[in-house]
Amino acid sequence: MKERIREILEDALPLVDLDSDFLFKELDSLGVATILLKLSEEYSIKLDAKDATPKNLKSLDSLEAMVKSKLEK
Amino acid sequence: MRLVDYLHKNAGLYPEKTAAICGEETITWKELSEKVIDRASSFRKGQVVPFRSSQSIDFLITYFAIHQAGAVAAPLEKDIPENRFREIYDILSSSQVPEGTADILYTTGTTGKSKGVIISHRTIIADAENLIEGQGFSHDLLFIISGPLNHIGSLSKIFPVTMQGATLYILEGMKDLDKFFEALDYPAEKNATFFVPATIRMLLMFSGERLSKYADKIDFIESGAAPLAHSDMLRLCEVLPKTRLYNTYASTETGIIATYNFNDGECIPGCLGKPMSHSRIIITPEGKISCQGDTLMSGYVNDPALTASILKDDTIYTSDIGELDEKGRLHLKGRETDVINVGGFKVSPSEVEDAAMSFPGVKDCICIGIPHPITGMGLKLIVALEDGSFLDKQGLARHLKGKLETFKVPLLYQQADSIKRTYNGKLDRKFYNSQNI
Repeated sequence: MKERIREILEDALPLVDLDSDFLFKELDSLGVATILLKLSEEYSIKLDAKDATPKNLKSLDSLEAMVKSKLEK
Repeated sequence: MRLVDYLHKNAGLYPEKTAAICGEETITWKELSEKVIDRASSFRKGQVVPFRSSQSIDFLITYFAIHQAGAVAAPLEKDIPENRFREIYDILSSSQVPEGTADILYTTGTTGKSKGVIISHRTIIADAENLIEGQGFSHDLLFIISGPLNHIGSLSKIFPVTMQGATLYILEGMKDLDKFFEALDYPAEKNATFFVPATIRMLLMFSGERLSKYADKIDFIESGAAPLAHSDMLRLCEVLPKTRLYNTYASTETGIIATYNFNDGECIPGCLGKPMSHSRIIITPEGKISCQGDTLMSGYVNDPALTASILKDDTIYTSDIGELDEKGRLHLKGRETDVINVGGFKVSPSEVEDAAMSFPGVKDCICIGIPHPITGMGLKLIVALEDGSFLDKQGLARHLKGKLETFKVPLLYQQADSIKRTYNGKLDRKFYNSQNI
């Protein structure tokens, strides 16, 4: 799943370093919204602004964990 | 009176009232007035001062201190590349600006590179009075600014807030929506804010329910700088049934011209309301919108030819197509320009193409606007490469970021064998726009 997330986000956010130690810092408001939108489309999950925490958006690993926890609900 | 004189007047009338809040920092009108006078000694009369803008109280101090000294403020994008900053610095150092100039604001003109728009003190006062009368900026208002302060959409809100002695709440963008809701929770009689349509889309998508809890507190929201989708207009009326929701016709060149409260039961798409008290609108025989009044720019820096092409006989001739209805309300029907509006930020495709052509392997390219789910329009670069080259999308995006402001960097890239040109060798924009690929 992580590689698929990378693929989607590399395509949507070409300026963002997805391997950054702290991904959230790399993003602007459009970047955050794009991640929520792309992941909710790809995995048919409901994401809202409360999910866009620095912790959830820290890295590709934390994004994968967030998607997995939403899918389990 | 200049805007900075209202600031000092506020310091006398309401010395302890909070003038601005940003993060943990707050400043009263008295403190702001003192800091402005102190910093003004760093500038000299007539000097044009380019500086990188920031979302901070310090921005306000610098901006007003420049005016206090009789100098001219030229706030630039906070992430403007160093070479571009130098280029503008050199141009402004050798430029003559008319007496009474307050600001030079950079925006993308109808062609080519960014242009310095000359704004007078008289224009700032007229914009402030238009907004106070047209939208009801009041003394007890807390106005939340989340957009970049070098952009007319956000900068212009400092004008009526200062004139009324109200309070500004400055946010570092809308990346952390919790911070926006914290601003709404700040103790105040009522709130108002300005959003580009992309931010409204984002809020409705991800926080609509939460926003509805503030229906009694949000006095008004203004949108502008790009068309707001009718579905978003209707949804916002539903979420905030008591709030005045304005769509405004404004640009750096024309100033704040007309505004329409679409939460009026009619919610007319494309309607921009009646001209405000300092403004007049005339539709030319070709159907284009032209504007008159004290909010107009004085001209473009160092470019009398470009100035003369849109500013004649105290009238600005825009490339917007519009109509006035029987009630005198303006309706926007379209735009006749190559400029692409990305979430309220104007991008000249030729500037992007010029920057992309210097990337190794790029033989030809065209930058087009395509529908984007959040910003309304987004940028796509179609690239033809030299034989043996491959499309390094991220490398190209980073190359562009080194030369241009971030909002001018396309998000989508596509490789093509060649780029279609017209019979006289110009890029065939019409073809690509009609393909909408």
